[in-house]
Amino acid sequence: MDSDRLSAAFVELADSLVADFDVIDFLHLLTTRCTELLDMSATGVLLVDPAGDLRVVAASNEQVRLLELFQLQNDQGPCLDCFRSGQQVNVTELSSAAPRWPQFVAQAQQDGFGAVTALPMRLREQVIGALNLFSPAPGLDLADIRIAQSLADVATIAVLQHRANLKADTVVVQLQTALNSRVLIEQAKGVLAERLNLDMDQAFTTLRGHARTHNRKLSDLARAVIAGTDDLTPARATPTPESD
Amino acid sequence: MRRLVYPDELREAGSCVTPEPAGGVGPGQRVSPVAEGPSDGHGARLWGMVAEHAAGHGRHAGVADACAVAVAAARVSGAGLTVMTPADSARVVCVTDDISARVEELQLTFGEGPCMDAYASGSPVLTPDLGSREAFRRWPAFAPAAREVGAAAVYAFPLQMGAVRLGVMDLYHVQPRSLESGELRDALLLADTTTLLLVGGEAASLDHPDAGAVEGLLSEREGYRAEIDQATGMISVQISVGIDEAFVRLRAYAYARDRSLTDVARDVVARRLRFSPDPPADLGGQPGGASHEDG
Repeated sequence: MDSDRLSAAFVELADSLVADFDVIDFLHLLTTRCTELLDMSATGVLLVDPAGDLRVVAASNEQVRLLELFQLQNDQGPCLDCFRSGQQVNVTELSSAAPRWPQFVAQAQQDGFGAVTALPMRLREQVIGALNLFSPAPGLDLADIRIAQSLADVATIAVLQHRANLKADTVVVQLQTALNSRVLIEQAKGVLAERLNLDMDQAFTTLRGHARTHNRKLSDLARAVIAGTDDLTPARATPTPESD
Repeated sequence: MRRLVYPDELREAGSCVTPEPAGGVGPGQRVSPVAEGPSDGHGARLWGMVAEHAAGHGRHAGVADACAVAVAAARVSGAGLTVMTPADSARVVCVTDDISARVEELQLTFGEGPCMDAYASGSPVLTPDLGSREAFRRWPAFAPAAREVGAAAVYAFPLQMGAVRLGVMDLYHVQPRSLESGELRDALLLADTTTLLLVGGEAASLDHPDAGAVEGLLSEREGYRAEIDQATGMISVQISVGIDEAFVRLRAYAYARDRSLTDVARDVVARRLRFSPDPPADLGGQPGGASHEDG
């Protein structure tokens, strides 16, 4: 672990937690940094909705989003075990976990993953979601897991924006607001994908790139795109690399 | 799980001033659990209560039933529903009693209140005590007036689905109090149900078989929603309509063909299916005219 890169990432994340930051944008940045820093293949964040079901709110790429969905649909996998127990789940060799989660392991291996770590996003005794990291075997060592858990804790803070006064009722409200932002972003991705003939990953990259370049909040821009009041000019349609 | 009893004093359908949306489960129809797989069934339980409440009154489930169940589930004194548009127009569509009618009216009269703030911010606005200094500072006209008519606490929930913002569900209580977390969770879920019922009303006007539509939708939305939301965005461009109407067309198409919403949404996202502004003749004018594309 390169400690300079690590501290740079934490400084960057902390700097992003300014007033009125965009929670989906932030969580996406966090999954990207997690993936790079810990040399992972992919990272995903899931949050619980008011009905008690987990939902994918951020993923470093579309493939891992689908794998997370697969876990939810089949009701099995490390992420669900982690969420339900509130404990870290670390699988260094996926094939050994086949008896426990047969469908999940088969799919994850097909996607080229060999190890997975699921970390709880906790606020005191309440678990609000999970951060999942996928990689080739053998995955994370204990030192890396500590770093990843800190990143999961940062994600928790980001979602529960009112850090000073976290009562049970504000938690569920914050979660609901974050989940609705995700719906908004997906709708805007659809609009852009159709308008500019992009796939969903490109649509997101374009939306995010434009928001960054023009210093706009991701959800504000998404609303404008959906309303047709901001037609990202074709010149901006070229997907920009995920370099920020 | 808490056992739920409907308060006797609950005011009935007479107070609902709009036609019932026809979406949902018909009277006497058995409600099957919508929860499959991971759901632990909070949403299904509440939907069952809404359908049961409607059946008890011999009607299709509508927003009045959702409001009535919200009052019981959140253990508050009453509920009111206002449909709003960004262009400042607002219409009260449902109230469960006189006080909630006055609360809605006061917010519209003064143009301020938890309801307005919830609509503008897209986040619930919970005010456990309208007599607090903070409430007075925030709504100097509304807060004292609402207390005057008998509301001591107001909890406002935006009715929304991404960029679709339809209005606000307000709950009020005669005494100051905070909602417990289970009550709050149920109120949020019922606000979601109400949103679907409001959209369902429009879908029904497209004249397609809509029985079970909302029930189906609730189960569809668990875990799968990204494709549905992405497809909704794509369709809105394909047929040049707003995101809310695009969603109605997507639903109409799925139900007219007895396909799941997720299934149709996947076809749209994979560009195997396109919607066209005017339904092609071979679809016999069915709603949500669409054409298949090869490849």
